[in-house]
Amino acid sequence: MTSHVGMGIKVVGVNHRTAPLEVRERFAHGAHEVPGALARVMAAGASGGVLLSTCNRTEFYLLAEDEPALEAVWSLLGERLSVPASGGAREYGYLARDRDAVRHLYRVSAGLDSMILGESQIQGQVREAWEASRAQAGPVLHRLFQTALHVGSRVRTETALGMGTASAASAGVAVAGKIFGDLAGHSALILGAGDMAELAATCLTNEGVHITLVANRTQERARAIAERLGGRAVSLEEAWPHFATTDIALCSTAAPHTVVTWERVGPLIAERRGRPLCILDLAVPRDVDPAVRQIENVFLYDVDDLQTVAAQATARRRDEIPAAERIVEEETDLFWAWYGGLGVVPTIKEFRARMDALRVAEVEHVLKQLSHLSSEDRARVEQLSQALLNKFLHQPTVALKQAAEQGHGYGLLEALRRLFGMEPPA
Amino acid sequence: MIVTLHLVALALYGLTTVLALAPFVGQRGAPRVLSIALPCAGASAQVVAVSQLTLVGLGPALSMLALCLVLLQLASERLLRGSAVSFFAAPLATGLVGLAILSGLTPDASPAPGRNAWFVLHVVLSVLCVALMALAFIAAALYLLQFRELKARRFGQIFQLFPPLERLDQLNRFALVAGFPALTLGVLLALGYGARFSGEGLHLAKAQLVWGIFTWVVLGWAVWVRVVRHWAGRRAAFASIAGFAAVILVYVALKLAQPGVERFL
Repeated sequence: MTSHVGMGIKVVGVNHRTAPLEVRERFAHGAHEVPGALARVMAAGASGGVLLSTCNRTEFYLLAEDEPALEAVWSLLGERLSVPASGGAREYGYLARDRDAVRHLYRVSAGLDSMILGESQIQGQVREAWEASRAQAGPVLHRLFQTALHVGSRVRTETALGMGTASAASAGVAVAGKIFGDLAGHSALILGAGDMAELAATCLTNEGVHITLVANRTQERARAIAERLGGRAVSLEEAWPHFATTDIALCSTAAPHTVVTWERVGPLIAERRGRPLCILDLAVPRDVDPAVRQIENVFLYDVDDLQTVAAQATARRRDEIPAAERIVEEETDLFWAWYGGLGVVPTIKEFRARMDALRVAEVEHVLKQLSHLSSEDRARVEQLSQALLNKFLHQPTVALKQAAEQGHGYGLLEALRRLFGMEPPA
Repeated sequence: MIVTLHLVALALYGLTTVLALAPFVGQRGAPRVLSIALPCAGASAQVVAVSQLTLVGLGPALSMLALCLVLLQLASERLLRGSAVSFFAAPLATGLVGLAILSGLTPDASPAPGRNAWFVLHVVLSVLCVALMALAFIAAALYLLQFRELKARRFGQIFQLFPPLERLDQLNRFALVAGFPALTLGVLLALGYGARFSGEGLHLAKAQLVWGIFTWVVLGWAVWVRVVRHWAGRRAAFASIAGFAAVILVYVALKLAQPGVERFL
């Protein structure tokens, strides 16, 4: 982090590393809340803002001075805490400035900062955040988010950071994919109606799998999930005959012993005439008797198997981190070079032209009153005014160029424009 | 020129083999574009070379077979969305081109009787059929290996790199079903022009006839069990492998009985 204070790019927020879920869910902003939240921060002095809010992070990207815009963010987030923390929202959050802020967004977009390393969903979320905040983003953040999406794409195409699967539920989908290929159009039945069952079933439906049944001891919960996923709620006993026809069986009941036994499903599976059946047993203790695995064309995987698949994918992804970080660094350099030189040359030209016009007008005005001066003296006055102007403008010009080289030019340019009433660039 | 082009193809197929098998020895796999571009370039060189051959003799037959195999490998990339077929097809094609070079590849200056468009069609269809049977064999072998890994819950390179079971099963079925009419037509053409030109010095060797009909029967049986008896999965894979192995064994036995490179059999 740099110690620079002043107008510049900042990111302030919380994520899965700094705040527990119960805090993150309080800080999460729905799409409808974004304009209001940004308006509040902009009113506190930010000249541009984008709010990125996902289940793992809530981050304000701002073009602002440190205070009071940042204070506005902390207070906005702090108001959402049910139990006020001693340090307010700040206690859970972080702040990155300038180059660090740019690098942070690029890492987020690349999936390097995600809970599941390399996951691709974040890129869509970055795009949505940018689009939702487009009106308030301003040209610098607009460019920053545009390039962040480019960085995300580069990392995913030039490295294998997004390859494989990284959670037990998605590993289940990957394993089923290795049996059936394209999962769209295949059928699945769900045993159990807990959170894990629902999460894994959602992963399957995302791949186009048709959930036919949700079987559970308590019908109420099964009905709720079945309604959401498009299946039919039945009792466990009613589910057994469907082992003869379904392609995938997802088991995640809270039963203390195995419920899918050879005796219950063995004869039914024999009716499949060799058609493969993929059984994903996500329950602990296990729902499926391991003996079922002996049946030809039954592919049975328990939580340990799926976690092995997920762990392998994560390990492979970790190997790609250096390559991904190199891309992030390259792109950060490019952005910083653009941002550093942003508008400095034309603004300096405009600034000097304005000052020169003033000088010329004033010299003309004075020379009219000093009509007795010889042409040589008039030239000396003219020369004097020119020299004075050059001396006055030398230091601001050098400071602006230096700030531009260090990436802080934008803040100074803003100040210059405001102080001298210059129009912002188109 | 013909040999040079074959050497180019040999080098490119060899490189494809190395890149295809690299992940199995802990190396990074080749980019997909390279796994397509290399065999494409090799096949292009071979097409130019084969167009100058008269398709008679062991060398040209092996060269044609390698070419058909590589073209089928490239076509199957689309179905499998991956280059798994190249694990088997690339080394096989490399070996076939190498054998073709060793067997001798020279353009025939004096066209023999009966070597017309129908003859070329017969050769192309027959070789294509053998290549399709080889593709069915490769798909079946990949299927059985992937099946074993999935059953044993091993999630290593085979699990990662091999295609899904259903796609391999589809590829196996497609190769067999497409091969049968090709071979039927190829055998009928052989019988037809064999009878037509028998008085002009063109002799259909007994071994060719035996092998052609044996292959046709085996392939017909494989198609029958898949299409009529609805065999699929592991059983169909075993049937394909057994059928292809029988065809190759019979060929080797017949070739040993009648050695020489002037005729492919």
